[in-house]
Amino acid sequence: MKDSRLPPHPAQRVNRGKPITFTFEGRAIHAYDGETVAAALYAAGVRTFSRSFKYHRPRGLLCVAGRCPNCLMEVDGTPNVRTCIEPARQEMRVRGQHAWPSLERDLFACFDKLDRVLPVGFYYKTFIHPTWLWPTYERVLRRLAGLGRLDIAREPEGHGEHVHLHADLAIVGGGPAGIAAALEAARLGVEVLLIDDGPTLGGHLQWQLLPSEGEQPGYALALNLADLVRGEPRIRHLAGATAFGLYEGRLLGVMQGEHLIKVRAQRIVVATGGFETPLVFQNNDRPGVFLGDGLQRLMTLYGISPGRRALVIANADRGLRLARELLAAGIEVAAVADVRSEPHSADGQHLREAGVPVLSGHTVLEVRGRKRVEAAALVSLDSAERPSPGSEKTVECDLLALATGWEPASALLAQGGARLDYRADLGGFFPAELPSWLFAAGEVRGAQGLGAIQKDGRLAGLKAALSLGAGDARDRALAEALQEDANPPPSIRPIVSVPHPKPKRFVCLCEDVTEKDLADAIQEGFDHIETLKRYTTLTMGPCQGKMCHRASIGICAALTGRDPSQTGTTTARPPLKPVPLGVLAGPHHEPVKLTPIHHLHASLGATWMDMGLWKRPLVYTSVEEECRVVHQGVGLIDVSTLGKLDVKGRDAAQFLDWIHSNRFSDLKAGRVRYRVMLDDAGIILDDGTVARLGEDHFFLTTGSGSLELVEQWLEWWLAGSDRCLHVTDVTGALAAINLAGPKSREVLARLTDLDLSPEALPYLAAVQGTVAGIPVLILRIGFVGELGYEMHFAAEYGDYLWETLREAGREFDILPFGVEAQRVLRLEKLHIIPGHDTDALSNPLEADMAWVVKMDKPDFIGRATLARVKARGLRQRLVGFEMLTPVVPGEGDAVVADGLPVGRVTSAKWSPVLGRAIGMAWVPPDLAVDGGHLQVKCDGQVCRGRVVTKPFYDPEGKRLRS
Amino acid sequence: MSFLLPCPNCGPRDVYEFRFGGEYLKRPGPDAPSEAWVEYLYLRANEAGAQNEWWYHRLGCRGWFLALRDTRTNAVLEVYRPDEKRA
Repeated sequence: MKDSRLPPHPAQRVNRGKPITFTFEGRAIHAYDGETVAAALYAAGVRTFSRSFKYHRPRGLLCVAGRCPNCLMEVDGTPNVRTCIEPARQEMRVRGQHAWPSLERDLFACFDKLDRVLPVGFYYKTFIHPTWLWPTYERVLRRLAGLGRLDIAREPEGHGEHVHLHADLAIVGGGPAGIAAALEAARLGVEVLLIDDGPTLGGHLQWQLLPSEGEQPGYALALNLADLVRGEPRIRHLAGATAFGLYEGRLLGVMQGEHLIKVRAQRIVVATGGFETPLVFQNNDRPGVFLGDGLQRLMTLYGISPGRRALVIANADRGLRLARELLAAGIEVAAVADVRSEPHSADGQHLREAGVPVLSGHTVLEVRGRKRVEAAALVSLDSAERPSPGSEKTVECDLLALATGWEPASALLAQGGARLDYRADLGGFFPAELPSWLFAAGEVRGAQGLGAIQKDGRLAGLKAALSLGAGDARDRALAEALQEDANPPPSIRPIVSVPHPKPKRFVCLCEDVTEKDLADAIQEGFDHIETLKRYTTLTMGPCQGKMCHRASIGICAALTGRDPSQTGTTTARPPLKPVPLGVLAGPHHEPVKLTPIHHLHASLGATWMDMGLWKRPLVYTSVEEECRVVHQGVGLIDVSTLGKLDVKGRDAAQFLDWIHSNRFSDLKAGRVRYRVMLDDAGIILDDGTVARLGEDHFFLTTGSGSLELVEQWLEWWLAGSDRCLHVTDVTGALAAINLAGPKSREVLARLTDLDLSPEALPYLAAVQGTVAGIPVLILRIGFVGELGYEMHFAAEYGDYLWETLREAGREFDILPFGVEAQRVLRLEKLHIIPGHDTDALSNPLEADMAWVVKMDKPDFIGRATLARVKARGLRQRLVGFEMLTPVVPGEGDAVVADGLPVGRVTSAKWSPVLGRAIGMAWVPPDLAVDGGHLQVKCDGQVCRGRVVTKPFYDPEGKRLRS
Repeated sequence: MSFLLPCPNCGPRDVYEFRFGGEYLKRPGPDAPSEAWVEYLYLRANEAGAQNEWWYHRLGCRGWFLALRDTRTNAVLEVYRPDEKRA
């Protein structure tokens, strides 16, 4: 393969002094630093860069800007990399996709001959019968479909950050219009964020060798403009940053490498310019067919010689300029086929003088060549847009440069709520009405020519700055003056497709959708642009419609007898360019909540479990041993995760009566009581305890996962009311340990002077005192069914008190117990866990807790509904049960009667002390009879149990009242 | 959804800092008929237009406030504290 590189030029991004090597399909490819993978491959002679989605047709470089799907390859194991913008790096491993055994010789190319049986939507009509072949169809089609291969075992390496930026003015697009807007706004004192997706500023000027207006060649002007921006401290430039979405609230999503930058801007200027799109003609997808500016970039930015002889297809002055640029870059231009009947610009004269014929009224009919462009046939079009018979001319060439389908890059404007109208004079959809905070500038708005583009940019910057309150009367006058200058009418003859009898005229390159496919779909009834898109899948490939949206609208309009403005566009949605999910996910933050005693549990070898964000010890030694220790000796458990609220104020007691089903205004100081909280539908939200510390002072505990819910709920009922009280979250300020077991009094007695006798500190007493030298609130409650003391104290003493209690309990063989043992112990006492044994349909009457509902209170949250539940009767009941065989049902297993599910097991555990499986379940009222039979479906088998409506262990509660 | 919600205490913040608290409804009295309770508990106006609703600033000041928001455009027309009379 001969090395085909052009001589070095200052406009190039390549450093010829730094050679690098990478591999492609096993070959070593010699490249230079600054080249893209595709440019280096092209220089090494590669012409087939991919195989098309359905027909496996060879595809070559087309856009050289990261827009079309043609250059997608696998790079270092990552699929679907756009090699035309991916910088080549030393030792990269590049492979083709979707072809076997190689891109150049793909056996699946035979599909190209099968287009008759693979028309648009074929999968809606085929592969249906026989149905027993579906698994085979699926296996085969899965292997054939798709482009890249994903290695799911590979670990993601992303180190992307999420960055939040605020800007007075964000400008998307660092070409001449964007730069002019930035400089103007900065002049007026506005802080500007300039977001550009290229490595350097200047936009399309960077690959122009000729001067636009004035004397400086485009690329030199770009460098000067970039210097101006660098010298302006109020402009912050984000390079290599793609704004992929404009979201509600003026939020711009920007992707810069692996980073996601969320920009909130007061004002946004979109100066994104535009891009070429392909013309639809026979074999328009052959390697060698380039978008004109793509060929320009390949030559001017990367210094690659693309071939021998180029044919330019044009419909506006832009195309004539392109032909001159290609000449200047160093390639022979065979001719320019300008579909307009009379070219207008001076460039036409220059071309003729350079010996390049300009064929007016002509365009391309088809391209010839099996795998590459070898020649093109031109025709002249009559006024009905049909080829005139007999006007065909063959031009021998190996390159086609298309300049017939320029369209503005207006996706962000559409996403921002701009109305886009079809402009027949400009041949595209341009912004017509914009929200007050959104501005368009430059080519995207229809400005033509460098002078007009820069003026438009200035105007946008000025208007944005004025709307922010910057500038003075002179600036307002300037804005008016700039506004009045009208753009000269451009000379464009819009053309979208060239008729031809053969079918290989591609509209959607990504999905291999041809013009014939569109015609067939419209005939089948999909004649609205939105349904046409969905049925044919056009615009739904990697390019997301950039290459085909324009043509599809024109073709749909022509085939349905409408004009493009009546046909309309499909809805623009973010992202306008594919964004990896890893970029959106960002850094992997996993917050956890740890109690002050956490490290001690770890050193005791605890197995962890997650309770929301909390890490809790599930078990230390074994559940059997931990349960035994609590029943026979003494154990301790870290319950710091409980929600804890300090409720204080003149109306605290009355408020607690309001939000709970039971009463607290009659709770004496120094006492603690079980609390149940309902919503107004009578549903159990949370339970816990309330201790009265004083006339106006209460201490509330909530479930470990409920604190946020309870705090929000309480604050909501207080909001706007004239109740006088404060609720303070002290969850993090206090640690809590529950010391439980028949020996717990003796252990605690060693650490405190408090009178712990049953007379002084009975069951449900709450006392504040000193334990091991620190102030502690002790609540004598019995969640685990034995004599026990729940101690609340300052969190910084967490580990101190834990160790002190363990030491004091050593002679009683004290052991820590975890959540699993706690769950078994509470189940033995038939204590419910809201959210586990109850759900969004559980009220306390049906949960066997009528005793906690004080209907004699005049009103409380849930009262009205419970009154009605009582009147209508209970529809389900929560009961305990024990199994008749040593089978522990799964939580969630169905309770069955006559083979049908009638209820549900909510909790089920093996109880070591009882020697049987016990649990709780919701059952129909007729089954809620103590001693009655129960059937549970576990593991596909029906197992028998017996209903138990009183606690399994110590039903009288003697042990916890001791 | 990414609109800015102006908290009366903290100023405009990303909506994800807040928890939506539902439409503003008047709680029926304890002796109200069943229809009133059914409406309060289960039926919602679901207005396509300006809606009076509760918001809780969970990642900020943790205060409750009310907002008048156009549910079609997410434009926040007004915010006010629960004890303030609406304009």
